[in-house]
Amino acid sequence: MIMFFSSPSDVKNNGHRRFFPYCHIILIPRGVSGHESGGITTFFARRFHHVTDHSCAIIMGSGDSTLSKIPNVEELMEETGFSPAHVVRLYERFQALDKSKKGQLSRKDFESIKELATNPIRDRIIGAFFAQGQEMVDFHTFVRILAHFRPVDKNRPKKANMQEPVNSRTSKLRFAFQLYDQDNDGKISRNELLQVLRTMLEMQVTDEQLESIADRTIQEADLDGDNAISFDEFRKSLEKVNIDHKMSIRFLR
Amino acid sequence: VLLTGDFCSRAPPEMVRVSRGLLFLCALVLLLLSEAVEPLGASGSPGGAGDSSGGSHGLQKGCEADVTKSKHPTNRTKKPFPVLSFDYEHVKTPFEISLWVLLASLMKLGFHLIPRLSSIVPESCLLIVVGLLVGGLIKVVGETPPVLDSQVFFLFLLPPIILDAGYFLPIRPFSENLGTILMFAVVGTLWNSFFMGGLLYGVCQIKGTDLNTVNLLACLLFGSIISAVDPVAVLAVFEEIHINELLHILVFGESLLNDAVTVVLYHLFEEYAGVGSVSILDVFLGVVCFLVVALGGVLVGAFYGILAAFTSRFTSHTRVIEPLFVFVYSYMAYLSAEVFHLSGIMALIACGAVMRPYVEANISHKSHTTIKYFLKMWSSVSETLIFIFLGVSTVAGNHSWNWTFVTVTIILCLVSRVLGVVGLTYVINKFRIVKLTTKDQFIVAYGGLRGAIAFSLGYLLDKSHFPMRDMFLTAIITVIFFTVFVQGMTIRPLVDLLAVKKKQETKRSINEEIHTQFLDHLLTGIEDICGHYGHHHWKDKLNRFNKKYVKKCLIAGERSKEPQLIAFYHKMEMKQAIELVESGGGVKLPSAVPSTVSMQNIQPKKPPSDRAIPQISKGREEEIRKILRNNLQKTRQRLRSYNRHTLVADPYEDGWNDLLFKRQKLMEIEKKVMCVSVSLTHVPNWWLHSSDPQAYSSKPTSDDLPTIKVDLASPQSPDSVNLVNEFQKAATQNDPDDDGGLVMKVPFADKDQGEQDNKKEQQRLMRCLSDPGPGGDEEEDEPFLP
Repeated sequence: MIMFFSSPSDVKNNGHRRFFPYCHIILIPRGVSGHESGGITTFFARRFHHVTDHSCAIIMGSGDSTLSKIPNVEELMEETGFSPAHVVRLYERFQALDKSKKGQLSRKDFESIKELATNPIRDRIIGAFFAQGQEMVDFHTFVRILAHFRPVDKNRPKKANMQEPVNSRTSKLRFAFQLYDQDNDGKISRNELLQVLRTMLEMQVTDEQLESIADRTIQEADLDGDNAISFDEFRKSLEKVNIDHKMSIRFLR
Repeated sequence: VLLTGDFCSRAPPEMVRVSRGLLFLCALVLLLLSEAVEPLGASGSPGGAGDSSGGSHGLQKGCEADVTKSKHPTNRTKKPFPVLSFDYEHVKTPFEISLWVLLASLMKLGFHLIPRLSSIVPESCLLIVVGLLVGGLIKVVGETPPVLDSQVFFLFLLPPIILDAGYFLPIRPFSENLGTILMFAVVGTLWNSFFMGGLLYGVCQIKGTDLNTVNLLACLLFGSIISAVDPVAVLAVFEEIHINELLHILVFGESLLNDAVTVVLYHLFEEYAGVGSVSILDVFLGVVCFLVVALGGVLVGAFYGILAAFTSRFTSHTRVIEPLFVFVYSYMAYLSAEVFHLSGIMALIACGAVMRPYVEANISHKSHTTIKYFLKMWSSVSETLIFIFLGVSTVAGNHSWNWTFVTVTIILCLVSRVLGVVGLTYVINKFRIVKLTTKDQFIVAYGGLRGAIAFSLGYLLDKSHFPMRDMFLTAIITVIFFTVFVQGMTIRPLVDLLAVKKKQETKRSINEEIHTQFLDHLLTGIEDICGHYGHHHWKDKLNRFNKKYVKKCLIAGERSKEPQLIAFYHKMEMKQAIELVESGGGVKLPSAVPSTVSMQNIQPKKPPSDRAIPQISKGREEEIRKILRNNLQKTRQRLRSYNRHTLVADPYEDGWNDLLFKRQKLMEIEKKVMCVSVSLTHVPNWWLHSSDPQAYSSKPTSDDLPTIKVDLASPQSPDSVNLVNEFQKAATQNDPDDDGGLVMKVPFADKDQGEQDNKKEQQRLMRCLSDPGPGGDEEEDEPFLP
């Protein structure tokens, strides 16, 4: 197992140069078993017993300065499958968004992202970060939500005891489904669909057109005749769509 | 007659039937020829531009007719007025062209009558074989067979194929894989050229191969000619094996985009082969030239594309010439690019891809169908001709066979392709979310077919500069034959063997459309939250720009504001409307359908207002739902294949399912229409009672019902009425014994909506029927279904 510490050029190779002008990150070559598995922390934990304290310190390197600020970072990485580099990257973004420096993001913080302002489903996306009744998002939730958009790793060993990874096809779909299903009753009703359509199509469409589209859509997907789209029906209707492609962000790999 | 008899004896027995028509024609021609001053094919050399082998009777003719005419001045002044004169020379050129086209088309027809054969051997192979036979035949009777002339090939045969490919380019998969495609097209082709050129040169230096005269630049030139994957060959083979979309677009996209590289390398090496030395500056200029050729081509294409889109904005009053603009502007784009030696192929692709979305929004549905049919027809005929002429040229050409050179070329072709693909995928996979598997790599490497472009480029070489031209041509032809025959024939079994994912040919459902858009927005949003400008960010920006400015300029009227989803929905509605009409005729009709087309026939589309709805029990409703569902699933699961040459991606492969499907679809639509728009007290079940067509006109329609609204903007509406009538007739003929088992009354839902809705719905239906604009991608041609 080869580990090496990043020289600036390594960092550049990884495409993260502009995000980490100073901190060192650990690069582990791809294809190394265990790395992709998301069990990166288990890997660390296992390794740590065999390395001297000295190297330990080096391993955490100056990335330590960022990583150590995050509580339970190993648990987080274990859960989400993010590499330390990603976590650091996300943490910096998190801090940039956190205008009030409370270590938590409010809705306002999200709303102030100006690229997001034109997104028709902005409210839904932001809403996805907030659990019911919550007003703030801490870093862990933030990362956990974004973990849905990590590409699926193909050669990840199946662990029997592990629950389904958060970036699997099903949970990606589940995430999208919940954006439609605002009342959390497990199905997309005609009304919910209408709302989405209305936001996506804006003002240029008559209500009557919208309704016929919504009806048509439900009718097409609805297999059990309850005039709503359940998660299974939703999944079925997207069977041919490459979800892994449509719901993955490259840099989060 | 001897000649045609000979031909028939060579042809496989099943083809005799087909060739009977041909036989007749050939006999006719021979008869004409026996009296003609100049026999067929001997017209030869005078017009052949630099054509050493002389023959040119099929295509390149230009001034020939005139030349031969002047050689034989006719002196008729002293004769009495000729009642019946004979002047074959007068029509010679177009006559022979037509004859070749006819031969090509008949051959194509013939292959499809022999299903066993065409399932094993790709059409391209068969066509080459036919070309070989015809060429041999021409040689046997002592004439010189024509050679695939490069001018004709590049100016007339290639553009239709590329335009067809460009206009119907699946934009989404193409743009999503653009990086990979470019990598293969640019870096891959460069690698292939230099690897092959270099190693070939090495081989040529070995003593005892008689190849010592071949210098490095000639080798590199040869490498650049032979290394480009050919779009025509790829299309011909890949469309038959129905590979999945990703692989198809990878190989096909590569074959399209490598044109720029090939053009530049070709001109570069051809230029320097005369000079003999290359400096660093030349290399640098080459790189610049590549950028200019590629981007220039795209720019020229985009310019003409926008022009075409803009023009189509104003065609609403002269619909008949609408399709012409698409063809002419594209061809202009191609020619303009060629003027500057830019990449004509890139220009065509860009032109087609740019104009399509706007043109489609502007033109009428019929024009769209016309465009599609014309493109498909032209490209199909061109392709057939190209392959036949490849065969003929093989017989005609002067060959200089060199075992070492040919064998080494084939081996190097394979090796460099495999190495290139494997190496590039290794790099590409680092950036791809969906990785290319080993199987994918294999198919991409194996699908690298060479074709007529390579031949034509080789043919263009100047013999005085390249004394080894004949050897090059022989090697090129051998490689083409090897790839088309060996790889083309084995790729299908290999695909099956490796269980490579096949194409799941289905129309996108409205669900997919909506959810994909939703996911796009979602991903853009997430990218924004992460502060990362990814693929979606730029796509979003582009979409916004398109919506805000471009569409307004290029699309006429209301439709410019139409969001994509609505446009999609309109297409679907249109399709359904056609199906509705079709299946409406599927129900029992009396044989006495009114033959005169009148507005009566469209009357049924309007639900007569004064019928009471039959109340149907909940149980019955369930039953219908079940039937619907079962049928729906069946059709969903069906795997359909797309073939450029069978225009209709036939959704109704077998007759029975056909009926079921239509009827089920009808009910589905009907139900929807009812659910939304029909008030409880009115029965819209005209279709149930279509056995009594006279009844509709006699029904008194209440005042509040809409009258038929003929869309004034669309002059075609009377025609569509005509169509409606024809559907009914056709359906009656096809389906005389209707069991009626599936025709049941649909529960008309409990939603009580006003007459207002009804009206709107009707109007929309009318709009769809009259002139709804372009329909779905492949299936709006249902009217032409049997």
